[in-house]
Amino acid sequence: MTRAFGAALTLLIAGTASGQWLGYPAKNIPRNPDGTPNLSAPAPRPTAGRPDLSGVWQPAADPGDAAGGIEGIVAPKYQINVMRDLQGAVPFQPWAQKLFDQRQANKMRDNPMIQCLPAGVPRLDAYIHPYKIVQAPDLIVILYESETMFRQIFTDGRSHPTDPEPSWLGYSVGKWQGDTLVVETIGFNDKTWLDGLGHPHSDAMKLTERFRRRDFGHMDIEITIDDPKAYTKPIRYVQPQILQPDNELIEYVCNENAKPVG
Amino acid sequence: MRVRHVALLALLAAAPVYAHHNFRAEFDINAPFTVTGTVTKVEWTNPHTWFYLDVKDAQGVVANWAMEMGSPNALMRAGWKRTSMNAGDVVAVDGYKAWEKKNTGNARSVTLTKTGQKLFAASSAGK
Repeated sequence: MTRAFGAALTLLIAGTASGQWLGYPAKNIPRNPDGTPNLSAPAPRPTAGRPDLSGVWQPAADPGDAAGGIEGIVAPKYQINVMRDLQGAVPFQPWAQKLFDQRQANKMRDNPMIQCLPAGVPRLDAYIHPYKIVQAPDLIVILYESETMFRQIFTDGRSHPTDPEPSWLGYSVGKWQGDTLVVETIGFNDKTWLDGLGHPHSDAMKLTERFRRRDFGHMDIEITIDDPKAYTKPIRYVQPQILQPDNELIEYVCNENAKPVG
Repeated sequence: MRVRHVALLALLAAAPVYAHHNFRAEFDINAPFTVTGTVTKVEWTNPHTWFYLDVKDAQGVVANWAMEMGSPNALMRAGWKRTSMNAGDVVAVDGYKAWEKKNTGNARSVTLTKTGQKLFAASSAGK
């Protein structure tokens, strides 16, 4: 085999290995001399001195967990259980404890995602699916690959709506505190789960997400769930996020072939 | 409460995590299997890729098995395509059996018998 043929073959294999726009080298990614993305470069801040959160992100794999599944994927730390760091018992209200126990007894078969319903937030902040942030001056859009959903975070100074219709992703407004984007969301329905174990929430949940892009490739989301109807104390955890350079979103239409086995 | 929580987590931690559903509700992590057969159909679809293969038992009776894998999105990101496995391929499959449905499993590894190539394995772990 000639060297040229070998190189062509390598290119061909590299070319066919990418689906849709996966592997396309995006032009706004800082790179090391060898062409690999430099995730430790400073976070970009073109918008009036504020960090720009734009990019394809994914909740970071839990460094303390092992790879599972045929693709060897490691779950984010809080994908299964958002209460894992709590000292002592989960501060359930009685009905929430009862519902949680029912979900456990049912082996979590009523997980809304099995029916191809949205995971919602904050579950998507710690779920393995990627998402894309598009930051404009008065609006931040999050495109979730999961269920091919969009979320709008208004940063134009508006307040939350009064008595909003309950919804899957709620109503989000954001404001900057220094380099941190603080997003407050209300107006949820009570149909989503907080995590894979099925910790419930009520329609009174107030969610606060504090987005802080530490550098080009790393961002933390500090999540506070304030839902006195379901929990006697707020729940707080930090789920790191990692940039997915040269990656892209792919359509995800769950209903095309969902077939629960259990 | 706490003890049960820990037991559940241990099970979940050992299970594949890409699944949009709860692996444990559908498959038995304590029921691993290995079968070899001829692929009859591939469904390259969300939320899970499925493929089917004819497996002959010791008596020569052929049964069609259904195998679940990750989503095409996850497999594409690991470098695979809808044409990576095709009807007619003979493959060996390691997996976990479904709790209830007969001849149904979650594939943990797929090996092309002709060449020994492992299909759908992660191109780089932890990517």
